[in-house]
Amino acid sequence: MEVVDIRPLLAPLLSLFCGILVFAVGERTWWRRFWSLSAAVVKLALVYSMLPGVLDGKIYSYSLIEFTPGIGLAFRVDALGMFFAIVSSSLWLITTVYAIGYMEQEHERARFFGFFALCVSTTVGIAFAENLLTLFLFYEMLTICTYPLVVHEETPEAMKAGRKYLVYTLLGGVFVLLGCAVTFQWAGTLSLSTAGILPASVGKQGLSLLFAAFVIGFGVKAAIMPLHGWLPSAMVAPAPVSALLHAVAVVKAGAFGIMRVVFCVFGVELLRDLGITVWLAALASVTIVLASIIAMTQDNFKRRLAYSTISQLSYIVLGVALLTPLAALGAIVHIANQAFQKITMFFVAGAIQRTTGRTNIHELGGIGYQMPFTMGAFTVAALGFIGVPLTAGFITKWYLSLGAMEAENGWVFVVVLITSSILNAGYWLPVVYMAFFKVPPGTHLHIKEAHWTLLIPTLICAVYVILLGSFAEVPGMPLSLARTAVEFFFGL
Amino acid sequence: MYGTQWPVVLLVTPLVGAALTPIIARRRAQLAGYWALFTFSIVSLAAAALTYQIHTQGEFSYYMGGWAPPIGIELRFDEFSASIAVICLVGWLSLLYCLGYAKHAIPERRIPYFYALMLLCLGGMNGFAVTGDIFNLFVFLEILSLAGYALVAITGDGIAELAAFKYLVMGAISSLSILLAIGIMYSLTGTLNMTDLAVRLSDVEPFPAAVAVAALTLGFCVKAALFPLHIWLPDAHSIAPSPVSAVLSGLVVKVGVLGMLRMFQILYASQVLDLTALNNVLMWLGAISIVMGALFAMVQDDIKMMLAYSTISNIGYIFLGLGLASTYGIIGASVHIFNHAIIKACLFLGAGSLIHQTGYRKLSDLRGVGKAMPITSAAIAVGAISIVGIPPTAGFLCKWYIALGAIEADRLFFAVALLFGALLIFVYYIRMLNAFYFMPPSHPEILEVGEAPLTMLIPIVILAILCLVMGIFGRIPLSFIEPAVINMLAPIGG
Amino acid sequence: MKALWTNIDYVASVVLLLIGLYAIMAKGNLVKKLMGLNIIETAVFAFVMAAGIVDGGDAPIMGPGANPPFANPLPQGLILTGIVVAFSTSALALSLIIRIYARFGTIESEELWGVE
Repeated sequence: MEVVDIRPLLAPLLSLFCGILVFAVGERTWWRRFWSLSAAVVKLALVYSMLPGVLDGKIYSYSLIEFTPGIGLAFRVDALGMFFAIVSSSLWLITTVYAIGYMEQEHERARFFGFFALCVSTTVGIAFAENLLTLFLFYEMLTICTYPLVVHEETPEAMKAGRKYLVYTLLGGVFVLLGCAVTFQWAGTLSLSTAGILPASVGKQGLSLLFAAFVIGFGVKAAIMPLHGWLPSAMVAPAPVSALLHAVAVVKAGAFGIMRVVFCVFGVELLRDLGITVWLAALASVTIVLASIIAMTQDNFKRRLAYSTISQLSYIVLGVALLTPLAALGAIVHIANQAFQKITMFFVAGAIQRTTGRTNIHELGGIGYQMPFTMGAFTVAALGFIGVPLTAGFITKWYLSLGAMEAENGWVFVVVLITSSILNAGYWLPVVYMAFFKVPPGTHLHIKEAHWTLLIPTLICAVYVILLGSFAEVPGMPLSLARTAVEFFFGL
Repeated sequence: MYGTQWPVVLLVTPLVGAALTPIIARRRAQLAGYWALFTFSIVSLAAAALTYQIHTQGEFSYYMGGWAPPIGIELRFDEFSASIAVICLVGWLSLLYCLGYAKHAIPERRIPYFYALMLLCLGGMNGFAVTGDIFNLFVFLEILSLAGYALVAITGDGIAELAAFKYLVMGAISSLSILLAIGIMYSLTGTLNMTDLAVRLSDVEPFPAAVAVAALTLGFCVKAALFPLHIWLPDAHSIAPSPVSAVLSGLVVKVGVLGMLRMFQILYASQVLDLTALNNVLMWLGAISIVMGALFAMVQDDIKMMLAYSTISNIGYIFLGLGLASTYGIIGASVHIFNHAIIKACLFLGAGSLIHQTGYRKLSDLRGVGKAMPITSAAIAVGAISIVGIPPTAGFLCKWYIALGAIEADRLFFAVALLFGALLIFVYYIRMLNAFYFMPPSHPEILEVGEAPLTMLIPIVILAILCLVMGIFGRIPLSFIEPAVINMLAPIGG
Repeated sequence: MKALWTNIDYVASVVLLLIGLYAIMAKGNLVKKLMGLNIIETAVFAFVMAAGIVDGGDAPIMGPGANPPFANPLPQGLILTGIVVAFSTSALALSLIIRIYARFGTIESEELWGVE
């Protein structure tokens, strides 16, 4: 049931205005905080106000203008978009609180918070895009808006990382645009409102190439190997940026794009006939394992997190590529699960850096005696990544495994998932061990926690990791939303 | 009928205004600016009225003095003539900008002549856009070109005269090439009227017609600075005063493109030649232009030099679109005539303000200027993002249409070349933005300079806003162009 | 060969055009370049004029004693305009050359390369 409603438009506009206001107030700290926080709260309320309707199967849409014939700047809230929007706007609020504490001493805060808001605006735009061109539009804007955040430090290293980031993501954008143009030529529309728009009559070869172009284009941001090079370098950005953008907004935009392409542009049926997603699944599997192995060798906390992100993102891609309902469910839910787990870890890394100045893992011996709550949150997230029941990660693994078993030769992927769990344990548990048990002699319990603005968001996220795992089936939790989306795409 | 005399106002006012400028400004040179702005406001009014008329009642003709062709001079107002709107817009804003700019940048005794030449150049361009007769096309072309050569040299700084001379020689050769083509066409058909020409060309011998087309193409390609005929452009456009650069880069090179469009209109209608070979050449040259312009721009440190090379890339887009000869391709090319004019004017005027305020013109010297001149720098940033074609700015639509056109014409390679070329362009614009925003200033005193005076700031801001608006409301130029392109391609079944 | 001979006027124009082009490209002196340009101008004018000639035609001046065929008057009109344009181009170019000489003390393009 389609309902015309202005809220899908207001959601991205709100952050856009927030960004402009932040630029306008310049260095006036109080006003900047006020606008950032109030916009985040209002936006969250706005997005949540649409949740009951979406769960009932309502679809909110709003068409702004037609800026090229047949293709307009249009917004449409379906279950999948709603899911992504809820995750990103919830985390925006939490990260804003964290960033206010974290950026206290930094330079150029107006620029930072301004572009921060713009990024969230574009992310919600991606989530609510009605057609591929609107999605592309926000996808490219996201690239541009994140650049000032990546190079925030203005050091040569940051500039280099920024350049790398732009080259990778804009190259990806070129492939997406090419894909859009070809799709428009073949399908005559770019709408994302149905489960598949491309006609099978185009021919297998052409469709396969088109699919490859889309996968490369969105795969850059989703950091599928070998397109992941920008992500570890981009970790020079301040921790809140890494947290929100490189664990949530940017990388998920890539994964979300792949979902839209698979479910809405090609459609499950067509892709099953083409049989090319098995390659994507293989690529994702390789990424999952290889990135985990590289992560084990990293000593820098944030770099290890980056490789862990690369590995985790491919869970989503794998789940999509398997083309079974349960695997898709696992993939969609993982957008939220991974986001909360990873953001907890980034918050921890940032809090440790701000409080003690340590950035490497081998320096973390006994940190648990100094920052027990922070490290407690870290432990929860680590268990989540390993996939221990009652944490969010378990839900993902459970549905992905079930979905894999439905697919042909699915056991291979189940083995991949189990290997990944072991590898995750291999690189996260030592950190926990170091923090609490490998204590340098003479350490006493001397609590010197991070500032509350850093600690509270971390703890909230950690609690949410457990909530997502324990109460997944409660209506209104992400799983129910994901289920609505899957039912639509698979025609169940 | 109401408003029928607008065409006369459009063409005669700038000529008369230009002639009167030195007299009016005899005692006070600064009066010239206000006079020129006033004159051109009238012209702009006429252009607006005419554009509106084209919009409401479609194509129409105006006969100078009431004489119908073949004796009289016909002015033809079709959708492509609507480019007078953009000519007047960019021209008017540039003149406004000159009010603040000319005081310091141009020797006082030359100021009246400067404004007179600006009026001539802009007026000539309007004439070029609306004439329905190929010989008048040539005359207007010469008016605007001569004014352009002189404008390049007007500051008398450094190599200005040398650049102007280089521009003059190349320009004169191309004009002669066009005149030659006009002569051939006339001797083949016995008419100079474009509509007649389209009819009569259909049964002439193909060989001389091909020679004429080749000469015409050569001439217009030099004017448009298509690679490898671009060598005059970088020096001329970078050394000229910034508002002149904006007019030259935004509008005057488009004269070549507009000329090509007129030629294609005639050729497609008459079908005298198979244009596949020509289109292929244009397509390839366009693609090479995009890449070469970008490569040259990348190694420039001088901000205006960089912008000048970027013009070559953008002309490459347009020619690529023209050469594709598919509906979307030509739509993209035509829309880019409008959009690039706006974007490049924004960039050149912005760069002019930076140079005017700081006294530096190298990117390495301009570091940190983003903090000193936030509004101008933001406008330049919008222009840069727009010219690279990041949605939802104006540049994106052209890229999108030309890419669609390439796919429509079954030439995926060119779509790929275009999009990757755009990426290459971004590499050097990001260098500029990095210098403005993310690098510590190399001259600390740069942080002390303020924004330029309002007369210079307002045009830049308006143009920057247009860069965004033309992207979001991309249907407006499109509603003009689309029927014209469909009409144009109808004879070849486009 | 015969075709060349019957079209001797066109051939002459083309030869002139090539000479002018050669002068522009090969000569270093700016004045000589300008002269090359003038030669091309002449070539083009001659070509268009020749195209307007009608064999055995009279000058198209009406009045007593005027009898057809007439030469086509329009090309002459066009070329008259062309000459005016060419004249102003040359004037502008010469004044630029004077300015260049005043500033750099030379008008040889090899020597001017250095100052660029």
